[in-house]
Amino acid sequence: MQDKPLVEVKKLKKSYGDTEVLKEINGTVMPGQVICVIGPSGAGKSTFLRCLNMLETPTAGQVLFEGKDTQKFSEEELTTLRERMGMVFQSFNLFPNLTVLENLKLAPIRVKKMSDKDAEEKALALLKRVGLDEKANVYPSSLSGGQAQRVAIARALAMDPECLLFDEPTSALDPEMVGEVLAVMKELAEDGMTMVVVTHEMGFAREVANEVWFMADGYLLEKNKPDEIFSNPQNARTKDFISKIINS
Amino acid sequence: MKVKGRNVLLTIMTLCLSLLFLFTVQPTHHTVYAADDSLQKIKDRGKIVMATSPDYPPYEFQVSKNGKSRIVGMDVDIMKQVAKDLGVKLEIKSMSYDSVLVAVETGKADVAMSGINPTAKRRQSVDFSEIYYNGGQSFLINKTDVGKYKNKAALAHKKIGAQTGTLQYNLAKSKIPGATVKGMDKNTDLVLALKTHKIDALGIETPSAEAYVKNDHDLAMIKSGYKLNKNETGSAMAFKKGSGTLAAAVNKSIDKIKAKHLTTQYLADAGKYMKVNTNNTSMFHYWTYFAKGIEYTLIISAISVVLGVLLGTILALMRFSRSKILKAISVAYVEFVRGTPLMVQVMFVYFGIGIIVNLPALLSGIIAVSLNSGAYVEEIIRGGINSVDKGQTEASASLGLAKGDTMRFVVLPQALKNIWPALGNEFVSLIKESSIVSIIGVTDLIYQLNIVRADTYRGVMPVFVAMIIYFVITFILTRVLNYAEGRMKHAR
Repeated sequence: MQDKPLVEVKKLKKSYGDTEVLKEINGTVMPGQVICVIGPSGAGKSTFLRCLNMLETPTAGQVLFEGKDTQKFSEEELTTLRERMGMVFQSFNLFPNLTVLENLKLAPIRVKKMSDKDAEEKALALLKRVGLDEKANVYPSSLSGGQAQRVAIARALAMDPECLLFDEPTSALDPEMVGEVLAVMKELAEDGMTMVVVTHEMGFAREVANEVWFMADGYLLEKNKPDEIFSNPQNARTKDFISKIINS
Repeated sequence: MKVKGRNVLLTIMTLCLSLLFLFTVQPTHHTVYAADDSLQKIKDRGKIVMATSPDYPPYEFQVSKNGKSRIVGMDVDIMKQVAKDLGVKLEIKSMSYDSVLVAVETGKADVAMSGINPTAKRRQSVDFSEIYYNGGQSFLINKTDVGKYKNKAALAHKKIGAQTGTLQYNLAKSKIPGATVKGMDKNTDLVLALKTHKIDALGIETPSAEAYVKNDHDLAMIKSGYKLNKNETGSAMAFKKGSGTLAAAVNKSIDKIKAKHLTTQYLADAGKYMKVNTNNTSMFHYWTYFAKGIEYTLIISAISVVLGVLLGTILALMRFSRSKILKAISVAYVEFVRGTPLMVQVMFVYFGIGIIVNLPALLSGIIAVSLNSGAYVEEIIRGGINSVDKGQTEASASLGLAKGDTMRFVVLPQALKNIWPALGNEFVSLIKESSIVSIIGVTDLIYQLNIVRADTYRGVMPVFVAMIIYFVITFILTRVLNYAEGRMKHAR
């Protein structure tokens, strides 16, 4: 692991009107790290994740990307940030008007100015990697949830990001499809991709994460190695949450 | 972005102010104007432009010869003589009767000649030539009523029809006790109203009445019996205020025509043409008229649909832009255009803008219909953009796509699919509403329909034919749109 952090979060706050969703978050993501963010719903996990690539603008505090304040980014720097930090959404958000292949090609061609041929080669290779190369020319509406999410991951990978953000990637899936998506994510982690994953899949967190962050009520209450946090939680809220999950 | 927006606003404000200036300043400008160059201008140009509404035989009407239609009639013959005396060519601009006086006021034409009576009210806004013809006033009645309505006195407390804005209308209102006066735009409609007993009599100029009686055996005529001032009851040519030199030259020609009794010959010639028109009044015989109407209706609709969608898209994007000024312009434009009738917009573009740039009628029509449609399309597109899931924009942004690319490749294609039925609806109504351009003389289907009605003395059949044609056009369009919608189905 390198020494310089990829992302640093300092005293991050976010509110919508009078509702304070994030009260104070501090944290560091090192290159190659896989961080799983867990916690009860309403904790602010998704909002936190969306502050990292500036889909949400923080109300106070800082998000530093390679030491630079993302709130001071120009339109151009923001594009670069998002190129390097891909995102996978709970509801996939594939573009229904484009085929699977076109979904993968669009950003490399428009943003990276890649040639159509190169983009296509790359897209097909990525589809093969997630096991969906035979679906290249279908429209997203004909895919199952699990397939759609794997395509969404491939689409994010098409931009060669250094870091991937996952916002509850398996929450909208039927149970039998969760496995195929997690398998792809696990493979990515093994290949050394930096990942921040908001998830309810405790098995995945325990097995794949380097660090688990527990969030509740807009605070980042505890961060630790997965084994520690699951077997020996320090914070009372963490204890309560973990016991509920294990007993359910 | 901000500076640019301010510039746009500035341009628009300057334009509005200069328009206002032109409108308010113009009348005084002309009364004060010392040198009257009205005649010299026509001579320099080598042609005189005449505005007329060719649905008023025997004064002016259309005939078709070898598939080409042209405007003929007594007025046209007189004007030809005038042009010859002036040593210039004659150009005829046809438009609705309501528009001919506006056309000379706004400089679209040098002279309006359409069987116009020089009433005192009209003299306030235009100059008139001498009376060139005095046809006298009559009433058309149903033949079955001949015994009932023998004279004007018998028409008291009856329903009298007359063309809106004409002398006949005002006379019926003021001189027939207790009469209910019903005004319509066209004599063809009024004759139809008469024959279906919606009115009891129709006030009309004697030559026109004679033509109708000759061509329709269900009709009869009676003398009006009005005691009238000779200066107001005849027909005269109208000029823009302050056209003294032109009027003087034209009056000289009129005197000559009167001295030689040329109008008798002109009327006889007109009668011959009318016979040609009524020889065969089957609708097939007039198919070239309808074909031309279809051609122009399609030209106007097709171009306006494209321009309207383009304008609507731009307005919608302005509405979603971060610049408050662009947003405000878009909102104001849509509100204003939706809040004013298309007919007024058409007349504004043709006559109003015409003061600055002389736009031909067809172009004016296309501009007005496009500007109008753009406002409605903006609302449809705005709804479509709002209907696209926010997750789509976020996913696109998370990939680093610029706002413009997100719109172009992700949001608009999906919006288009959602709004397709509404957009199709707009196209269909545009085709139908484009018919309003007939008032400025664009030869679209409605305009041609009225020509055919005037020429054939058949009130209903041409309307029925036009109805079928409109239906066929919109039906085909609807099929095409449905097919396109089916092809877009895969999206989601």
